[in-house]
Amino acid sequence: MYSYKTGIAQIDSVSGGFEAGTNILILAPPMSYADQLAYALIKPLQGEYSIVLSTNERAAEVVDNFKVAGADKRFIGVIDAITKSSTPSIADTTRLMFVSSPTDLTGIGIKFSNMIETIFEGDFSDGEAGLFPPPIRFCVNSISTLLMYRRLEVLYQFLHVLTAKLKKIEGVGIYLLNSESFDEKTLSLIKQLMNCVIEVKMENNITYCRIMGIRGVTGEWLKFTVTKGQVVILP
Amino acid sequence: MISTGINALDQMMGGGIPGGDKVLYSMEPGVNGQFFMISTLSAALKKGLTCLVIMPNTTVDAFRHDAITMRVDKRTLCSNKLVYIDAIDAERIQKGASSKEAKARDWKARIQKICRDRHIDVIFVYFDLLYEEFGLENGLCILESAREERRTTLILEHLNLEGAPLVDRFISEHSFDLVLTIRSSSHPLPPFSYFTLLHTSWAPIPIRSIPFSVQEGQIIPYIPKIVVIGPEKAGKSTFISHASALGHPPVIAGCPEEESASASLDFGRMRWKDFDIMLYGIPGRAEFDTSILPTLRHAMGVVIVIDADDPGMLPRAHYLAGLVAKQRIPFIIAANRKKTPHVMTEKEIRSSLALPREIPLQFISATDRDDVHGVLESLVDYITRIYS
Repeated sequence: MYSYKTGIAQIDSVSGGFEAGTNILILAPPMSYADQLAYALIKPLQGEYSIVLSTNERAAEVVDNFKVAGADKRFIGVIDAITKSSTPSIADTTRLMFVSSPTDLTGIGIKFSNMIETIFEGDFSDGEAGLFPPPIRFCVNSISTLLMYRRLEVLYQFLHVLTAKLKKIEGVGIYLLNSESFDEKTLSLIKQLMNCVIEVKMENNITYCRIMGIRGVTGEWLKFTVTKGQVVILP
Repeated sequence: MISTGINALDQMMGGGIPGGDKVLYSMEPGVNGQFFMISTLSAALKKGLTCLVIMPNTTVDAFRHDAITMRVDKRTLCSNKLVYIDAIDAERIQKGASSKEAKARDWKARIQKICRDRHIDVIFVYFDLLYEEFGLENGLCILESAREERRTTLILEHLNLEGAPLVDRFISEHSFDLVLTIRSSSHPLPPFSYFTLLHTSWAPIPIRSIPFSVQEGQIIPYIPKIVVIGPEKAGKSTFISHASALGHPPVIAGCPEEESASASLDFGRMRWKDFDIMLYGIPGRAEFDTSILPTLRHAMGVVIVIDADDPGMLPRAHYLAGLVAKQRIPFIIAANRKKTPHVMTEKEIRSSLALPREIPLQFISATDRDDVHGVLESLVDYITRIYS
């Protein structure tokens, strides 16, 4: 089974990376650079593909983030739930798709399926071939925004479908959730859909993370930073 | 009758949706089923009906743009026959009302006023947010209030995250007249979408599931793979060449035609009543038996062609029918009469092949296009019942 390298030695040396089919929740307070951590973890390596569902940033900004991190944009797809509200006539392309708003779960589901289908058909990357079956890293940035628009129960059911689909195609999913804005019930319900949780905290302007749910990885707090799309664990 | 804009679906329902009925398009997450609603809206507008579209999760401009990409005529979307309640209106209601009851009242008043002032014939509703806000009972009550004075047709699209029990409630508790579910499956093919005509109140139409693809803004129901097999020289290649608009039995250079047809795979494609159908023929000689199972993979149906004049090929046909039955693929027997009168009766053939009564058997001439199409029509009908 395929392993998705993380660039974090504490994970890669123990398990070879995230196992195919893993769904990971990043639980982080605001302004803790959690989105940078998420983007670093879903940056596509050689032959891999990434899809981002963005409810916070426009597609162009998401792609720019990856470009700065040195990723090949031909292997990156974005489902943008922001831009269409201000630019209704914006048209979908193979790798950039738009839904009317974060409330539009129907549209999000369809665009997600379309992108996966295009990747499997080999029509995603302008003729550049990736691996087959295609390893796909998927990120939802963020569940917090989706929760502002849809009820927890509805979103839970929707995420249940998405996480199951990712397992089926042996992809890996990363989901961002603000740890300070939601109650315990919300957090624990969303956690039920995940195999792994990465908690992030900030103390004295230093970011820490701890990884739970990966066999052999201790749940200790690690200082980290993200540089050019790479997670660096600090001593 | 209001057309769905999909001929095959209209025909299955006896011409379309009766005016004044309540319709549900229930979509599974991730399935590209939005065309059903758009296609029905487009057909209603073409017919000159006045329509109200309630879409609380998008704006008019975004909706129009999406509909145009789905090949709906821009002029009809901007015509005065079409009225919208969109996300901006929904937000006004949200902000203007202090309680859930007040919101429900605002929704009702707004919809009733539009229906009365504009003499609305059909209401199209993207139901997700109303369902989430008010629940099924109250959400539908808001919409029903607009139908008190006049039996307006009501058509709902809903992302169903709760599965069959929710669909059952639309039918049993709220008397929906037509329920069409739109789902995807990875069996028997790699992922494909299909719709199921689950319930119709106006006629005892059997439950049917039909795979579909979306091509150039149209829903095309399709049967992706029908395999034609049978004993040698039963008439398979002739069958395919007469079924197909595009296909033909391949001819190998240097081989007599008859010989080459019995030594290579045939391929054909036909369009029947809006269905796109692909046909694959396997040579009947025993040396090709190793290619039968791989070819049957992902097949949705099989035609077993036998020579109705030749009882000697029945043991071979029996063997092939057993092979297909073991794969649980629906099949039909086409008994090809090369001479008349044919020597075997239906009873004799059924008995020799141990065919249950429900498996169709038809006498045909493989050179008669109408006969061949008749067989495929029966098979498609049989398939759509079996996969339901």
